[in-house]
Amino acid sequence: MKTTVKVTAGILFCILSNGVFSQTLEEIVSKHIEAIGGKDSWEKVRTMRYESVMKAQGAEIHFTVVKSDRIALRSDISVMGMKGFNIVTTKEGWSYAPWAGQTKSEAMTADNVKNSQDELNIKDEFLTYKELGKTIEYFDMDDIDGTECFKIKMTNKDGKETTYYIDPGNYLTIKKTEKIKSDGQETENSTFYSNYKMLAEGLNIPMMTTSGWSEMETLKLEINPKIDDAIFKPGK
Amino acid sequence: MKNIAIGILIISFSFLKSQTTLNSAMFGTMETRQLGPGTMSGRTTAIEGVIKDEGKTLYLGTAGGGVWKSTNAGASYKSVFDKYCQSIGAIAINQKTPSTVYVGTGESNMRNTVSIGNGMYKSNDAGDNWKKIGLDSTEHIARILIHPENTNVVYVAVPGPLWSDSKHRGVYKSTNGGESWEKNFYINALTGCAELLMDPTNPDVLFASMWQFRRQPFSFNSGGKGSGLYKSSDGGKTWREIKTGLPEKPFGRIAMALAPSDPKQMVAIVESAKTGLYISSDGGESWKNQSATMNTCARPFYFSTIVIDPKDPKRVYRPAFQFAYSSDGGYSFTEASGDGGWVHSDMHALWINPAHTNIMYVGTDGGVYMSVDRGVTWQFNHSLPVGQFYHVMYDLKEPYNVFGGLQDNGSWMAPSASPGGIGNANWDRVGGGDGFWTVPDADGKTVYSEYQGGNMFRSNLSTMKSDFIQPQKTLKEEKLRWNWNTPIVTGAKNPKNLYVGAQYLYKSNDQGRNWQRISEDLSTNDKNKQKQEDSGGLSEDNTSAENHCTIFTIAESPLDENQIWAGTDDGNLQVSSDGGKTWANVSSNLSACGVAKQAWVSSIEPSRFDKNTVYVTCENHMYGDHATYLAKSTDLGKTWARMNNSIFTSYAHKIKEDLVNKDLLFLGTEMGLFATLDGGANWIRMKNNIPEYILARDIQIHPKTNDLIIASHGRGIFIMDDIRPLRNLTKEIWEQEVYFFPTPNIILNEGKLGWGGPETSGGWSAGNPPSHPSIDYYFKQRLNSGKVTLEIYDSKGVLLQSMPGTIRKGINKVNWNLRGTPPKVASGSTKMDGAGFTAPMVLPGVYTLKLKVKDKEYSSTVNCVHDTSNKNLNLEQRILVYNKAIELQQLYNKVNNAIDTINYYQLLLKSDSVAYSKRKHAILFYDDLQKVKGELMGVKKTSIFADEKRVREKVSELYGNFCYMEAAPNEMQLDAIVDLNKEFETQHDALSKVIAKHLPKNPEIKIKKHVE
Repeated sequence: MKTTVKVTAGILFCILSNGVFSQTLEEIVSKHIEAIGGKDSWEKVRTMRYESVMKAQGAEIHFTVVKSDRIALRSDISVMGMKGFNIVTTKEGWSYAPWAGQTKSEAMTADNVKNSQDELNIKDEFLTYKELGKTIEYFDMDDIDGTECFKIKMTNKDGKETTYYIDPGNYLTIKKTEKIKSDGQETENSTFYSNYKMLAEGLNIPMMTTSGWSEMETLKLEINPKIDDAIFKPGK
Repeated sequence: MKNIAIGILIISFSFLKSQTTLNSAMFGTMETRQLGPGTMSGRTTAIEGVIKDEGKTLYLGTAGGGVWKSTNAGASYKSVFDKYCQSIGAIAINQKTPSTVYVGTGESNMRNTVSIGNGMYKSNDAGDNWKKIGLDSTEHIARILIHPENTNVVYVAVPGPLWSDSKHRGVYKSTNGGESWEKNFYINALTGCAELLMDPTNPDVLFASMWQFRRQPFSFNSGGKGSGLYKSSDGGKTWREIKTGLPEKPFGRIAMALAPSDPKQMVAIVESAKTGLYISSDGGESWKNQSATMNTCARPFYFSTIVIDPKDPKRVYRPAFQFAYSSDGGYSFTEASGDGGWVHSDMHALWINPAHTNIMYVGTDGGVYMSVDRGVTWQFNHSLPVGQFYHVMYDLKEPYNVFGGLQDNGSWMAPSASPGGIGNANWDRVGGGDGFWTVPDADGKTVYSEYQGGNMFRSNLSTMKSDFIQPQKTLKEEKLRWNWNTPIVTGAKNPKNLYVGAQYLYKSNDQGRNWQRISEDLSTNDKNKQKQEDSGGLSEDNTSAENHCTIFTIAESPLDENQIWAGTDDGNLQVSSDGGKTWANVSSNLSACGVAKQAWVSSIEPSRFDKNTVYVTCENHMYGDHATYLAKSTDLGKTWARMNNSIFTSYAHKIKEDLVNKDLLFLGTEMGLFATLDGGANWIRMKNNIPEYILARDIQIHPKTNDLIIASHGRGIFIMDDIRPLRNLTKEIWEQEVYFFPTPNIILNEGKLGWGGPETSGGWSAGNPPSHPSIDYYFKQRLNSGKVTLEIYDSKGVLLQSMPGTIRKGINKVNWNLRGTPPKVASGSTKMDGAGFTAPMVLPGVYTLKLKVKDKEYSSTVNCVHDTSNKNLNLEQRILVYNKAIELQQLYNKVNNAIDTINYYQLLLKSDSVAYSKRKHAILFYDDLQKVKGELMGVKKTSIFADEKRVREKVSELYGNFCYMEAAPNEMQLDAIVDLNKEFETQHDALSKVIAKHLPKNPEIKIKKHVE
């Protein structure tokens, strides 16, 4: 009987160990893609529109974001009765933030446009990284908010590095850290993802994102809405 | 049998799934604040820069604070090694692929307090991620060299263990980028490699400084037969000793450098009976002695750096006791100028930017300095909080102050909170020399501090006038033996008791003015361990660092001032139950449970819950033993039980019992801070914004604020604010899926401190503690789907605020700003209006908290109480302020409604719903509305630098003032509310008239329902 217990404990150890530690990077990515709804579901997505609210001690800032996959995005921001926007295309970008004293839209720097290109990609980065010439590398597990996560770094052709932390329990991303080099400065931005929701279209999407002090909740999300491309120019 | 096995498997699996063990994640949100200081930094042992980006990227290695990286040439730094050993000996960057960085752990400035490493690490992504790559047992690493062409070839100079014989010494080589290592050069178990040079024009040519050295707790020896200067011309396969022109052996430590631009030119400082500076012009084959100053040759074991300019073979730099430079190849040296300010002495690292050789960085015992004029003058980097505290204490002021002494950097104090946060300017020096115990007196006006060897002072905190208070020996007594780090302790039961220890224990009841000796010699008094005047080896070095057979730790029971404990550096643990009249040596009882006999007693913690219970930490690393010795006695030291745990990784410095929960203990070790919530059955490593392998030397818990205060030997002071959630986290709670902690009473104020303007001193800064207790809840597991919301209701059930909650595993915290929801702001202004972010602070009362977790709801309450300490605002005045703020909020809403009404009509008037034939009327209507709008709010000035105050801006400003008012309002402020109401009424009337006038002529426009 003692032997049986030892053997069983050994088997159990192997099962648990293998379950957590023996996966290849490809397996982790594959399970992640499955967890977010699968490749087929995401392949159908061309455009997206979502409305979000950022809450801070009772005050609210509202966002409406429209994306055309790998073509452009526009984010309209409403804060304290004022309205501004950010627009990014593959080649240009503009921002208008009247609360910051801007009296008209201003063109983004080339570095800012370059660093914002990942945002144009509607699909999960792990679906497109090969196609976009990015590479991925697996590091040890890392503790994120109390959860030991898979840590995967993605590097694009320009050397921009983004690290993803994937929860081994459900293979969903719970944190992303981007290292941004822009105009001679190097900064790091982290975003946390939670409240994943499976949409009717079969896409599993986080409805809550947290970055720094701001927590943004997505209130409404449309997949493949019709978009007038004219909105991707300032003045609209 | 098969079925049984499967059954056990299922049961085992279920068991594992259902049990929750104590882990670090449970209180991950309880992050510490790192107070610094940055104004007094700490020992920096390695500096390397990336040549390709012209030196903008720097990596610094520190004695006990890990690796720091700058990407802006030192304007700011960030720590990149928090998960690993914090003692750094060497750094090397692969300059062909600068994202590849090697770090050798274990500093090799072999002072008495040097920490130890655990091998080599490598990063392939510029410090973001690190991998351990071997040489785990080397303990100290002095240099890493990378072959400039074949970058897979890496050499490591390993002095090896300081306190014991070891085969893990010498020169190691890897030919596969650190995947495996071979020992390239080895002399014996006493001798390691202290320096390694490579000829950049022929990388197979190497020079090794082999060094025989050994410390014992009571002596140091630098030098011996093993020491020598060796050269290899075949990449380390063979080595030959070089003697020509060098002094007579034995040697001690050799510092050496070659000129990268002319590698035949070399300099060396050779420790010997006649330590001197030597110069070679033939690639190290022969040497010539050159006269040199004391500074050039002083303390070879500690000042082991000499560097030649990358471009100019005649420019030699000697960072040592002071910084010196030579322009003639080392024949004469000049000390750096003092212009630009004081530069810390005791230097260990120098990096010269090869692209701009005027620019260089030097690492000292007090941090990093940058020069832009070839080392003539220096500027301090203020943002490196890597000071090495030995101890920390606190006072009982509000906010309280922390006090502590730093290696080579005196004694300091700083507030735990300050207007705008704690900056470098908040740190004040209260003592000089090496700082150790720095203890405030209960009178709030006095501090006791010391420098090395028990030289102790009582200082007036207002004037910093100091009196020397060290007890003196009598004719009948032996010479007093004061430890390098002499204990100065006030009583835990009776804070008027002041204790200090030599080999005897002394007590004073009058702030050190008079002393009473209350013990015989409490040490072993082993005379073989008292020959410090012979210490140093080839170079005399006796700075009290090796003083031995001394009292090292003292503790008075928090329950009985007559119960006094004393522990020595030679293994004695003594206890008195009669105020020092008699003593019992319980060290043999302690060693019976497995504690090494001669181990230093590093801390004693008599329990505050049971007079017979005591905890002790001991450490024996000075005999090469890194075991974690933590023991507990429940019978006043008669018997002991070890409190072992496999999670511990190094020797122990401090055990601290919580003030409320007897099962909550904290353990500080040389490699990590640990906590137990169940009296030691399970321990977890603290990772709460603390380096995982932090050198945790001392731990205190503040009795008023419940803050955990940690003194680190390499990262300054850390404070974990208000550990009550940790204190309250019992097993019963952590087994629950969700637990809503009771929220303590919240005192209604904007905190005790204002802002005070921007920090102008620059450099490191730490934030303040939260102004109020947070609202805390616990999740057994991270919430993967669904959201968390915290709602706050007043006593009438009105929802005041709804806030998103965090979803992490363990304790989650939400900070409520004690206010309701701010008013909505009408659009159309050219500037942002602050009122939209502001609501009045709630009145005293009980508020309901609803924690909504997916589809479940958990309720609690919080009692908000009036701040009676604020003499500028009594309860009646608070209610008046609140009511007036609400009145202003209502007025603000009216103004916004009026603006909304105008916006409504203007939108319609501009739209297609107005027929072309009616455009004229529409335009008149629109313009008249715009005139009123322009009186209600600013619409013209678009620049944020141009004021345009109209009714809304005025109301908003006054509303904001009342929302944050913490003093009774004056008559003018109250009158202003009346006036603003009148101003609004005037404009409201004007609006009504405009609508009445124009609406009939614009029949397409529907009346806005809520027009007032």
